[in-house]
Amino acid sequence: MLQEEIHQYLERFFSANDCTIEENGQGVLTVQLSVDMDKELMNRPFYWTYLEKTGGIPNPMKVTFITNPESAPDIKGETVHFGAPRLHQIFMSAKKLASYIRLYEEPSLIGNRQIPLHPWLNINAKISYQCDRKRDVLKSFGLSLINGVLIESFHEKLRKLSLTPKIPDYCFTISPIIKPASGLKRLESHITSDILNSDHAWADEAKKRWEDDMTLLDRFYADQEEKPETYEVEKQALQEQYEPSVKVDIINGGIFYLATAPA
Amino acid sequence: MAVKINYDQTWQEGFLQRLEKDGPWCSRDLFELAVQAEEHLSVPDFEGLMAPRFLPQLTPLPHQLETARQVVENMNGKAILADEVGLGKTIEAGLILKEYMIRGLVKKALILVPASLVSQWAFELNTKFHIPAIAQRKSYVWDQYDCIVSSIDTAKRSPHREKIMEQQFDLIIIDEAHKLKNHKTKNYEFIQSLKKKFCLLLTATPIQNRIEEIFYLVSLLKPGHLGSQSGFLEKYKNKELSVQENEHLRSIVNKVMIRNRRADTGIEWTNRHVQTVPIEFTKEERELYDAIDSLRNLQSGFAAGGFSLITLKREACSSREAVYYTLKNMLKKYEDPSSEYMEALNVLHGKIQAAVQNSKAEKALELIKMIDDKVIIFTEYRATQLYLQWFLQKHGITSVPFRGGFKRGKKDWMRDLFKNHAQVLIATEAGGEGINLQFCSHVINFDLPWNPMRLEQRIGRVHRLGQTEDVHIYNFAVKNTIEDHILSLLYEKIQLFERVVGELDDILAKLDFGSMEEHLLDIFQRSRSEGEMKVKMANLSAMIHLAGTVGKEGDSLASGGNTSIS
Repeated sequence: MLQEEIHQYLERFFSANDCTIEENGQGVLTVQLSVDMDKELMNRPFYWTYLEKTGGIPNPMKVTFITNPESAPDIKGETVHFGAPRLHQIFMSAKKLASYIRLYEEPSLIGNRQIPLHPWLNINAKISYQCDRKRDVLKSFGLSLINGVLIESFHEKLRKLSLTPKIPDYCFTISPIIKPASGLKRLESHITSDILNSDHAWADEAKKRWEDDMTLLDRFYADQEEKPETYEVEKQALQEQYEPSVKVDIINGGIFYLATAPA
Repeated sequence: MAVKINYDQTWQEGFLQRLEKDGPWCSRDLFELAVQAEEHLSVPDFEGLMAPRFLPQLTPLPHQLETARQVVENMNGKAILADEVGLGKTIEAGLILKEYMIRGLVKKALILVPASLVSQWAFELNTKFHIPAIAQRKSYVWDQYDCIVSSIDTAKRSPHREKIMEQQFDLIIIDEAHKLKNHKTKNYEFIQSLKKKFCLLLTATPIQNRIEEIFYLVSLLKPGHLGSQSGFLEKYKNKELSVQENEHLRSIVNKVMIRNRRADTGIEWTNRHVQTVPIEFTKEERELYDAIDSLRNLQSGFAAGGFSLITLKREACSSREAVYYTLKNMLKKYEDPSSEYMEALNVLHGKIQAAVQNSKAEKALELIKMIDDKVIIFTEYRATQLYLQWFLQKHGITSVPFRGGFKRGKKDWMRDLFKNHAQVLIATEAGGEGINLQFCSHVINFDLPWNPMRLEQRIGRVHRLGQTEDVHIYNFAVKNTIEDHILSLLYEKIQLFERVVGELDDILAKLDFGSMEEHLLDIFQRSRSEGEMKVKMANLSAMIHLAGTVGKEGDSLASGGNTSIS
């Protein structure tokens, strides 16, 4: 992540969370936090409890972030780089605050006839292949709740569309034929079978490493008739170290009412 | 083949609830930012290192990056990091820990280090690696924090031990792991009992004296890698290994151990200047020394404790205070000392009273004044340490003491005092390890340890990455004493100081002729005459020499460069 990207990210994040950007210069961003953002990021629960108990006037903090120390050598502030705990905290906060969404497409051509909007169920998932190593794959799916059509890279395709949180004039939504709950099940079984049918060389290799170490362990305790406790502990450790598994985390998702199928 | 799949169900529930209650929903911008965050944080490949991208302010050296990569990719996260002193094993361990944390494979980590290094580790992990590590101070940290730095001595004691056992640590890092070479100790047993999913053992000296040491170290990490105990000992203990056998052992050890050497790193090191400072006893000091020497002929008492006699002689070369202290302790042990014994003691006491002047201390004072910069004095004896502190103060020189027994906070404080306010740090042996003092470049070895590795550890505190000055080492030895012999054997015949750092441990490892200390004891204590002593010393130095030359042709077990590991 480049420093400029970090700068843009911060700017968008704070704007999206109703904070005032007071200064936005080369490598410097000064933000007047909203009360909610202060509570979310600044880690001062005692202040807020105190304020609520005494009924004082809230005074959320103003923070200066430095994304390029060279262009702002004399300015006091918090330097943010990729890997800085602050950026990580903001990433986590974004994920926490943006789990669920509902949006409507704004059709560009509006005549005087009513435009139907079709419901799509979307999830953005992180699939982690994990043993003693790890790899993530990000996937985005959209499922039509009318005809069950499934589209991949859904999120990317949505980026081209104009979307709004309120249903636009002259539009109406079509009720789902597939219930959202069963739509979720369909997506789940699609993702799971996708994983099961993919190449598992990585898992086979991990199991091989596991077996090799298990053989060594048995050899180490070969002299002992009755295995000591450490044997079981080591065995458990090897399982945790090598056992291959796939984790599916849902980053976020929601329901989208669209005029046309995204392409 | 079936693979376990864990599908996150919680999101689905939350979604259905929101549909029912018609919100709340997030904004499109924030939704996009959440996806972007995940794009930045996700790990695209099994291979490679993510950590450096997260640490733009850290510039690891090439060998450190390579080591981290090897451990993650080829060693499955279980390794002995055995770089020579001062090559930055902490950085390597930090990189590996960071890498696993980024990949989500490690959530909880336990870092066990010498007490004097606890704060420093926690500080470095926080500042250099942005890992929120906490120094263990109270027992409640164990389940409250994810990354904890503690000393083994604290961790192994109740109630900490029980609390630790309840935790699920994903990675355990143990610094100065050579202290675990003895499998009969409580510390060893404690580490063995811990569950080690990923584990890093850090030591500059994987083998100090015996080949079995590597077996016990490796067996902590990966039991069975070197076979069973009986099998290993039968095959290797006290055996002349053929070239093939040696090569074979080396190659399997290198599967779990990475050892970078200074020479291979291509880093420019400052020079070492070593100087022997011969000391002449005063008449009174000489009389004390000779009086101790003559106890050898005593019928009872001292003869039984031969070790005490040699200790006393070494102490007499350090300070009369050290002798006095030991005598006092010895006397306590005897309930009913013989009159001969008491008389001998009385004579010694008289000699101690008379030896008012300490020639070494005078010399040290002269040197310190001449150097006119920060100086570290190492001594083996606490009594000498106390005396020196008093002596230097009397002459207007500020000094701070340092020893292993200090509480952690006190150690940090002493280090800071030395750095900012005092000219001299007086450290006992136990203080030699685990403290970084690269802001100082002068070391006085007030007395010399028998194990050359201990000397290397001492110097390593100063001559390490970050040292910008040439390092000066002054070895004090009193003429015509046991010290003179030790010096001539270890430090002139073996040419310890001229050797490249780390070369000596290879040599000692290859020798595998038992503990160095045992040999020295044999030479200095059981020899009946000067002549016998000289012959034995010549033998020992010849053996070491031989091992040294062999070491240059082939390479020894412990010396595999990182290139040969796979």
